[in-house]
Amino acid sequence: MYREIVSLMRREYLKWIRAPTWVISGLLSPVLYLVLFGQAFDLAKLLPPNVPGSTIVRVLLGAPNYFSYFAIGMVAFAAATAAMFSGTGVIFDKQLGIQQRIISTPTSRGAIFSAYLLFRGVLTLIPAFLVIGLALLLAYVPGLAGLTVPSGVTGLGLAEVLLAILTLSLAFTALFLAFGFSAGKIESYFGVVTILQLPILLTSNAMYPSGTMPPWLQHVVAVNPISLAVNVMRANLFGASGYPYSPGIYLAGLVGWAAVLIALASFLAYRSFQSGVVRSDPGEWGPAP
Amino acid sequence: MSSTATDSADVICADDLRVVYPAGKRGGTGTRAVDGVTFRVRRGEIFGFLGPNGAGKTTTISVLTTLLAPSSGRATVAGLDTTVSAPEVRRRIGLVFQSSTADSELTGRENLTLEAGLYGFSPAEIAPRIEEVLRRVELSAVADRLVSTYSGGMRRRLELAAGLIHDPKIVFLDEPTLGLDPQGRAGFWRYIRDLRDTEGITVFLTTHYLEEADQLCDRIAIIDHGQIIATGSPGELKDRMGGDTLSVRTAPGAGDLEPVVRAIPGITAVLREDGGYRLKCARGDALVSKVVLAAQSAGISIEQLAVHKPSLDEVFLELTGHAYREEGTGADEPAEGPVPPAAASPTATAPSKHGGA
Repeated sequence: MYREIVSLMRREYLKWIRAPTWVISGLLSPVLYLVLFGQAFDLAKLLPPNVPGSTIVRVLLGAPNYFSYFAIGMVAFAAATAAMFSGTGVIFDKQLGIQQRIISTPTSRGAIFSAYLLFRGVLTLIPAFLVIGLALLLAYVPGLAGLTVPSGVTGLGLAEVLLAILTLSLAFTALFLAFGFSAGKIESYFGVVTILQLPILLTSNAMYPSGTMPPWLQHVVAVNPISLAVNVMRANLFGASGYPYSPGIYLAGLVGWAAVLIALASFLAYRSFQSGVVRSDPGEWGPAP
Repeated sequence: MSSTATDSADVICADDLRVVYPAGKRGGTGTRAVDGVTFRVRRGEIFGFLGPNGAGKTTTISVLTTLLAPSSGRATVAGLDTTVSAPEVRRRIGLVFQSSTADSELTGRENLTLEAGLYGFSPAEIAPRIEEVLRRVELSAVADRLVSTYSGGMRRRLELAAGLIHDPKIVFLDEPTLGLDPQGRAGFWRYIRDLRDTEGITVFLTTHYLEEADQLCDRIAIIDHGQIIATGSPGELKDRMGGDTLSVRTAPGAGDLEPVVRAIPGITAVLREDGGYRLKCARGDALVSKVVLAAQSAGISIEQLAVHKPSLDEVFLELTGHAYREEGTGADEPAEGPVPPAAASPTATAPSKHGGA
């Protein structure tokens, strides 16, 4: 089983290193948000000058400054954005007959799906970690805001942060794989992705605290996987006192999202494998449905 | 596994296979792509599945290679049921699709390494085998080039190499020479004969080229509208046409040849045509000298004499009542995917070659 998965991931890796534009484009928007938006927009500066620093920290739920608060949101956003390319490979594999070749071998359907999920999941993690690295680095650049983490973060807290990034990446990878397995054409895939991209970001607390939002929006924000991941990270890095639930609860919610989305994606993958089998030349069968 | 009393020499058995495609979204009834197909393929033979586009060839090969469950009926390959033991069947067969399935962003060698990995081989243990199949299909020199730079013929050969990577004893080829130039086709025929002759591999191939079936196959099944209408060796099928035809042209003003040739044993019929005669017989070659001698002794001078072997075109016309459809006329296929047996509605099974897109 593992050998089949490794073979399939190796194929994706070889293609990926030969066309790194995908990664660069997936990385660009979160980085631009960090070095442009994050530097220009500071929620704390909108408060009257006589508001004490402790109030600002309270508004930002423990984060020492707005950039630190925002940078954590961008980690989740980077993962979500990178994941949006996850389904493209699936569509090309379907269109070019490669999927047909793969499913005609004894390799199990589960192994084929796992290879897609694992490889795309890892690709999703890379930008998330690059954003953390860049945000931490910016703190040492004179004149720029950077991510500062107060001392006192526990090993367990750090593990929860990593787990949150990992789970969020897998969840979004699975979501976009699901679209890839069900889409017939790359155009319809990117149509859906474009529609989803901003709502996913804007119905989260990635960029600003949800306290000022109308109640209905707060309910949506509370269950958005980006919010859940961001809550786990911020509560562990900046202190959990401002949150109604413990980080473990948010993490559990995130794991639930991942489980549901992976189940959905694997179901759609299986369905796609079943219906893709007799696709032969378009002349004889017409385009794949 | 195999419960039916199949001879062990029969490595591929199809019993009353039926595949029904569901009715299209725009209405219409379902299409019986395969409608009661039964045949046997013996070990070590090249078996051709011949028919026009849309006759049900690809559907049949999909069932035999486990990629599609039949709506009813049963298929066994190497004694294993294709629906019950699909993974075991897949391990034993090589499959070459009619369209390119290689990843064009990888090299030929990388594609074969991937294929081997999907059969559970590690790159190290499979390396010698990859060299061997590359040599067999004459791709060694370009093995490290990206497949996107390959010609159509090279891609077809890579497909064949991929189908052979795990050393299968049964190989399925779906329209292997589709779109190849005559040279490429001849080369492909050589590879296929070589598989049978040097390794005793059983080859099942679909084709809509009559010439290909004639040249390459030990036995042929002719399929049309989802049903097998004839099975046999190319020679047997041609014999059904009543054997050969001798066409004779006599010199102008020469006497009547008909009574002369009617007396020759073996001539079964004599037809007159403009300026000559058509003589039907089982084996034309053997009667040529007799016809010439008989004409000479009757004082009739022969200007021209030719032996016509019946072609599979004629066989096809005879069997189906319609001329062989050539490439590009098979657009009457269903646009929908297949249905699993349970989902196939029994009311949606009226034969309809026009129900698709």
